[in-house]
Amino acid sequence: MDRQLSTRAKVGWALGGLAILVYALFPVAWIVSLSLKAPSDLSNQQFLPTRFSLENYREIFTGNASELFLSALRNSVGICLIATFISVVLAMFAAYAIARLEFPGKRLILSTALAVAIFPVISIVTPLFNLWRQIGLYDTWPGLIIPYLSLTLPISIWTLSAFFREIPWEMEQAAQVDGATNWQAFRKVIVPLAAPGVFTTAIISFFIAWNDFVYGISLTSTERARPVPAALAFFTGSSQFELPTGAISAAAVIVTIPVVVLILLFQRRIVAGLTNGAVKG
Amino acid sequence: MTALADGAVDTEVAALAHRSTAAQRMRRRAPLLPALIFTIIITQLPFLVTIGISVLNWNVLRPGDNAFLPGVELGKYESFAGISNYVTVFTDNRLRHAVMNTIVLTASAVLVSVVIGLLLAVLLDRRFPGRGLARTLLIAPFLVMPVAAALLWKHALYNPDYGLFNGVLNWIWQLFGAEQGPIIEWVTNMPMTAVVAALVWQWTPFMMLILLAGLQAQPGDIIEAAKVDGASGWQTFRFLTLPHLRQYLELSVLLGSIYLLQTFDAVFTITQGGPGTATTNLPYEIYLTMFRKYEYGEAAAAGVVVVIGTIIVATFALRTISSLFREEVGR
Repeated sequence: MDRQLSTRAKVGWALGGLAILVYALFPVAWIVSLSLKAPSDLSNQQFLPTRFSLENYREIFTGNASELFLSALRNSVGICLIATFISVVLAMFAAYAIARLEFPGKRLILSTALAVAIFPVISIVTPLFNLWRQIGLYDTWPGLIIPYLSLTLPISIWTLSAFFREIPWEMEQAAQVDGATNWQAFRKVIVPLAAPGVFTTAIISFFIAWNDFVYGISLTSTERARPVPAALAFFTGSSQFELPTGAISAAAVIVTIPVVVLILLFQRRIVAGLTNGAVKG
Repeated sequence: MTALADGAVDTEVAALAHRSTAAQRMRRRAPLLPALIFTIIITQLPFLVTIGISVLNWNVLRPGDNAFLPGVELGKYESFAGISNYVTVFTDNRLRHAVMNTIVLTASAVLVSVVIGLLLAVLLDRRFPGRGLARTLLIAPFLVMPVAAALLWKHALYNPDYGLFNGVLNWIWQLFGAEQGPIIEWVTNMPMTAVVAALVWQWTPFMMLILLAGLQAQPGDIIEAAKVDGASGWQTFRFLTLPHLRQYLELSVLLGSIYLLQTFDAVFTITQGGPGTATTNLPYEIYLTMFRKYEYGEAAAAGVVVVIGTIIVATFALRTISSLFREEVGR
């Protein structure tokens, strides 16, 4: 049917598509371009840098902003990896139970997980702020890992049970009939089948924890635990009169690239996982 | 004798089986517990505490004499307030304004991003060379860290002196021979539009993905039949595709509303709720009440209101999801 399109329609679609790509990508490209501009170029309103400079990257890695950025990067990576690991392990048990076993209240548990996932963060942060200060978790890694788990666990349970439901579990028994031990059947048959789902869930969890801002800015106060999103809001220029656009762009590129690469590599699976979770419930 | 023994063994086996199912039932639930208990503790307990605090007069700077939860050292409040904090939420001008701003912000960001998302989904549903690449690129805005995205909209796009928007205007004006384009203070002149535009840019891919899933679940033979019957492309879209997409549209509106109700990063970074209170939404107002005014009880009451609002929206979301689920099973 596409072949019947007139040339005019084709040109129309092509122009529309181009406009849309520009709309989606222009700001992204602009960030990259800004991060590569020399300080004197930053305000020239030109789309491309007149000369490429790594000055902004030097600023955040070795210059003035490095103290703020490097510690934040370390905190973010550490806190998010730990939170992702714990939530995926816990969610694996829960999803296994939900996918393989019949028991009353299964749907209720999944609905609860979903209800918890949409719980407004801002309503939880005030009591946590007070409690954390009283029990000494304020401005520490565990003080962020625990609330991050509340963000990542529900969605992990949700997506993992969608993945686990698709696994042909009979194959485990088939392998045992063929003489494999329990452990062998699990390791050689089930793990390879489950791994993609687990990995996808881990990426989604990491993404959610990585992007959090409310907890990051409310429950930390120093470099001890402040994550990247909160630190970005504290960036200032090298002088009072200079806006930190260059440093922010460079930092944004650095913190976005790993996520983009990971998600693009596993895009198909992530989209499948999310839509299966949401649509097939 | 043998028959009797067999019978005895049978009952014994049955009893064993029964006992093992009881034990099994316990074992079945065991793996669920850690994740579930933890999730409930970490989200529901603080919420119960929030409800408790919401009926107290409690300013962190003026601690009273009454211990909240004696023995747990959660601080001291002044006095019992009853529903007066809630009355404040709904009658105080600032807070009422924040409620209105939340509604305007959420509704406009959701609607615009759903419309653009639908256009993109329809475009991506066609077969054309480079479709995979185009889809990948279109998802990009969703992957940029929200705070980073908001900061860049503020500094790199909206900034009147060196932002890209004024840069482009300048370039267009110069094409027509003018010396200098207009200098527009985007954030000051149209604060709400500025916040909404940044949110729309970030959330359109999310809507697009849901709607694309809906489009691809549409059976192709019906479209073919419509084509054979001589329906135009627009008619097919209007009378077949759109009704089919209804539930997916509802789902994207509801999920989008749930998340955008909680918008905080964009308001915090782009406008700081200003100018004045022009873009202060409820989450940002709660943050100010808590971390600037230290009115603990009031912030808690506003938090409870946000939760109730979210639950109302979410009830509809759950209903949509379960009706989608029923359709899937019925097919």
